[in-house]
Formats: sequence, structure tokens, C-alpha cells
Amino acid sequence: MGSWDVGIWPSFDPHNFSQLRPNDPSAPSTPITYHPTHDRTLPPPDQVISSEAKNILLRQFYQRGDEKLRPKRAAPENLSPEQECKHPRASFASSSEPPK
Amino acid sequence: MFTTHNITSRLFERQIRTPPPGTSIHRARRFYENIVPATTIYEVECPDNSFRKFTEDGKYLISFSRNHQDLIVYRPTWLSFSCKHEDCDNQDLPPKAKKFESFFTQLYSVPLASANELICKDFFLYAESNQFGLFATSTAQIYDAPATGGAIQGVPSIEKITFHLLRLEDGVVLDERVFCNDYINLAHSMGVFLFDDLLAIVSLRYQRIHILQIRDSGSLVDLRAIGEFCREDDELFLNSSAQASTYIYTSDKTFLVISSADKRAPQHMPANNAANGSHLEQQPAQENPFLSGIKQRLLSFIVRGIQNEEKDETMRIQSLKKKFYFHFQDYVDLIIWKVQFLDRHHLLIKFGSVDGAVSRNADNHPAFFAVYNMESTEIIAFYQMSSDELYLLFEQFCDHFHVPSKSSPYMNFISSHSNNIHALEQLRSSKNKATSFPLFIKKVLVSLPFNCQFIYKCYIICLQLISAADRHRQSTDHPIKFILRRPPHTLKFKIKPGPEAGITDCRTKRISSFLFHPILPLALSVQQTLFLQPAVVNIHFRR
Repeated sequence: MGSWDVGIWPSFDPHNFSQLRPNDPSAPSTPITYHPTHDRTLPPPDQVISSEAKNILLRQFYQRGDEKLRPKRAAPENLSPEQECKHPRASFASSSEPPK
Repeated sequence: MFTTHNITSRLFERQIRTPPPGTSIHRARRFYENIVPATTIYEVECPDNSFRKFTEDGKYLISFSRNHQDLIVYRPTWLSFSCKHEDCDNQDLPPKAKKFESFFTQLYSVPLASANELICKDFFLYAESNQFGLFATSTAQIYDAPATGGAIQGVPSIEKITFHLLRLEDGVVLDERVFCNDYINLAHSMGVFLFDDLLAIVSLRYQRIHILQIRDSGSLVDLRAIGEFCREDDELFLNSSAQASTYIYTSDKTFLVISSADKRAPQHMPANNAANGSHLEQQPAQENPFLSGIKQRLLSFIVRGIQNEEKDETMRIQSLKKKFYFHFQDYVDLIIWKVQFLDRHHLLIKFGSVDGAVSRNADNHPAFFAVYNMESTEIIAFYQMSSDELYLLFEQFCDHFHVPSKSSPYMNFISSHSNNIHALEQLRSSKNKATSFPLFIKKVLVSLPFNCQFIYKCYIICLQLISAADRHRQSTDHPIKFILRRPPHTLKFKIKPGPEAGITDCRTKRISSFLFHPILPLALSVQQTLFLQPAVVNIHFRR
């Protein structure tokens, strides 16, 4: 089938796929860093993309357990349920895969 | 775009068109609607064994001898004969084709049980990646066994339970694990859960969860024993620091604090009031004043949860008294019923009373669920049987309760109410129709924790309508019809257990069981009348 080594294919920015290790079976096949093609989506400089070890069900158990055991603050400081739900989604976005 | 049901046009479609994204497996499975086991060979002459199950990859048929002492494994094959005539489809099968041996080749027969032991015929777990099979033999059950050595009163005892790990390719016994004077629920593998290479065995009598690992070489390695002790070195620590334990009882507070020299494992033993304190003072005289490790984790999780509900100190104490101290003895008396893995580090444990553990119908007894992290030895969650929070999680994430194993991605394609909107609508409509929501939740959650390998992997069954493929059913004289689930709901094939001519004597009860091959269009139906009479075996296959 020929070489699937993406690093030698032509692309706009020569740095885009330079970090890929060529067909090394011991190395992971996905690139660790994300090179944005434009300035609008610059990632933070120390970003490391990794996958969450716990599955979504366990994440829900942990989240509800933490809510129950967290000491209650005074009423105005309490986050509304919608805002509490939004926190995990924000962490999903940061760990999403880079667009191909 | 209309889907066609004709196999030839489906094959042409497959040649020309790529399937919509993500549906290539579904399209391949739809071919099973056309390849159905419609031909039946009645009353096949076969060895008098009790056939139990096809393995999930379809490579082996597991059966036990009538005396439940030997294991006999067959390899499913297929007919191979040639037909010289022109119109072969309408010819009758040659007589050699109607034999059991044309479809199944015996690989070996291994004696597993010795003189006074019997193989547990309902117990079989298959590790697909290594083709290892786990079987269990046990001696007779002793009811009313005395509760010695840390055993729970009321749980029966079995003198010897042996788990045998076999390599199914050649029948070599690779390893064994023996439990003496213990009780493990072997029926339908309820007391054992296999996930990839991890095995969880629940000892009901001693209230321990044994976690074992099946290595590639075939040896069973003990990883941990959760119950009395949670961490591996708890026992050593407690024994060595026993002299340093001190009891501090303060009369103005309502807590009795038992702490050891190192603050690593402080546990609060609450006392209702001074009157009950005298009961607790008697505890140091007993052999082991501590509750078991997992019970301590559970009680402290419950206490902390209730404490955090109230901000005000007096309200907090009231709430604790009402919700925890009042039921303290009930919580302490809870025992582990059943366990399943949620992932490699987390267990879902079902707790209940001693009576519910041994009774056949446990629905009437209260039960609780807890999620336990084996690495950090913490309880993460605790729910009652009719908790709506747990029901919501089950409704949304049912697939994650069926632990997805790496070696069998089949579970990703089973539709449940978490991945199929029609199933979800069905569940929701029955929820709205239910008269009592807590009762409805109980009914839905009663199957948790799931039995291991309970969902029978079979491509044909997925597409057709069937009830209870794996269980024995009382059979009638009518054949079982298989109808397409999707429109048009046409009849695809029928399976008739029992003799071809039907049953003349309708008074004796008959039990039919069906074994479907997971991949090939092949099925066995076994009909038994009385125990001493040989069973009637039919083979159903596609000609």
C-alpha cells in the first residue's frame, strides 16, 4: 500500500507533521502536539492532550460523590446546577483531539 | 432509499455501494436475515451428554457428562458431502449427513470432578483472548453450618469448591483454585465476574471479594482480598499496632473515637447516647473490635454524606441521629451480595441482608449499591435500591454497566436504551405508565450488578425476535417462530423442538433448551422429559 508516513506528504506549513515519528511501532501513532494552521486557535504553550482513564459513568459517580462530600457554603455562593454541569463539558473541550 | 431483502441484490449492493458511515457492521449483520437455520434434522443420535453452551467465538461446544463429572468439548464443523445430481437443493440429505458427528467433532473428554464432587452445570466463563475456560466443581451444600472462623451466620457452607482453568484447545487443566468451607454463588455464574483477565469471586460466607488475575501462561494469581482488610498490608499494620490502640470516650460529645497510634486509619464509631455507649464498651472484650475494612469505608462514607447535608451543627446532629444512628445496626448487618467490575479499578457492589442473600427471591429484601475503588480503597458512591439518581445514571449510561471488554467489541453493537432512541422511548413510556416510581426503579435495577457474560452473543438472535435463548423453557407442541424485527415483519424460520411427529403424551412436563451458534446459522434444541429418559436433540441449520 505504500508508505502511510504523513510526514513526507506536502502540506502548507512544513512544521505541521514534523513531530511524527516515521512508522515506529513502539511510538504512539497520534502526534502529541497540535500545530494550528492559523492564529485564531492557538493552544496554551504547555498543553498536553491525554485521554481520561475513567469512563463517563465513573466520572458521574465521582462528580456526584464530590458534590455530596464538599462542605456546603452559604447560599449565594453556591453554583447553580446548570453552571455545575457546564464545568465537565469545558474540560471535555480541552481534551478533544485536534482537527485533522 | 429502500432496503432490499433479497440476498442477491444485497450482495450486489455490497459490491457497488459503501455503507453509510459507521454502519458497515450493521450491514454485514443484516445478511443473517437471509441465512437462517430453516432445515431441521429431528431426533439426532448423539451421545447422552448435557449440552450447555457454545463459546462466544463459536469455536467450541461445551457439554458435561450425565453424571456431572466429566467435561466434553466438541468443535462445531459443517457438513461436507458432494452431490452428483443436477438439482441438488431438492435432494434429501444423505444418511451420513444426519448424524451428530457430521456437525460436531469431539475434541476431548476431561474428568474434572472427583468422587464426591459434581461439576456445577450452570457455571462457565470464557476468556476469549486466550481461549481459556473456567469451570467449577463443588461438593454438597451444608445448610445450618456453624458460623466459625469469621463466617456469617445463616449462609450455607460447601466443603470444597474448586475452580478449574482449562485451555479449551486441548483440554489441559492449567490451574486450580480451591475454597474450603465457603459459599460462592455458582448458579449462572452469579458469584464470579470475569473482565478481561481479572476475576472477582465473592465469598458470601466470609464476606470477601477475591480478585484474581488470569495470566497468559494460564496461572491464577491472587491480587487482593477485599473485605476484612482493604489494602494488602492492613492486616500486618493492625496486628503490629494493636498494643498502641487507645479508646477515648468523652461524655459531652456523642462520638466514641477509636484511634490507633498512627492516624492513618481513624474511624468514628458513633454512639447514640450514654445508654448505648455501654454496649460499645463491651466490644473491646471481643476478639475483633473493628468492623471489617470495607464496612468501615462504607459507614464513614454514609456519615460524611449525611454530615455535609446540614450547615447548622444542631440540625446536623439531628439529621445524623435520624438517618444514620437509628439504622446503624441495619447498616452494620449489611453483607455483600454480588459484585461486578465497572473498570479495572472500580467495583459495583450490591449490599443486602443475610436473608436476602440465601433466599431465591431477593426482590423483597432491601438492597444497596456502592461503587468501590480498589486502588484508593474508597467508596465513591452509595445508593439505595430505589434511588432515582442511580436510575437516571442507568438510563443514560446503561452500556457502561455492561463492562466493555477489549477482546470482544461485540458489546458496542448491542442496542440498549442508552444508545437507541426507540428503546429509550419504550423505557420512558413504561416509566410513565408505572403506578409507583420507586417500584419501577426497583424493577429496572434488579438486574444490577449484571451477571458476567449474560448477554449471549449471537448474530441471528439480534436480528430476530426471541425470548430467553439461553434459559430452559417449558415447551409446548408448537414451533417457535422467528420474525424479523424490522418491517416487513415477515416470518423467517421456525424451530420445533422435540420429535418430528410431535408429542403424544401431553401430561408429562417437558423442558426445552436452545443453543444457538454465535456465528454460523446452526442451532441445537434439546428437549428433556424425565431425568432418566434420554433427551431428544434436533439440529437446525441452513442447507
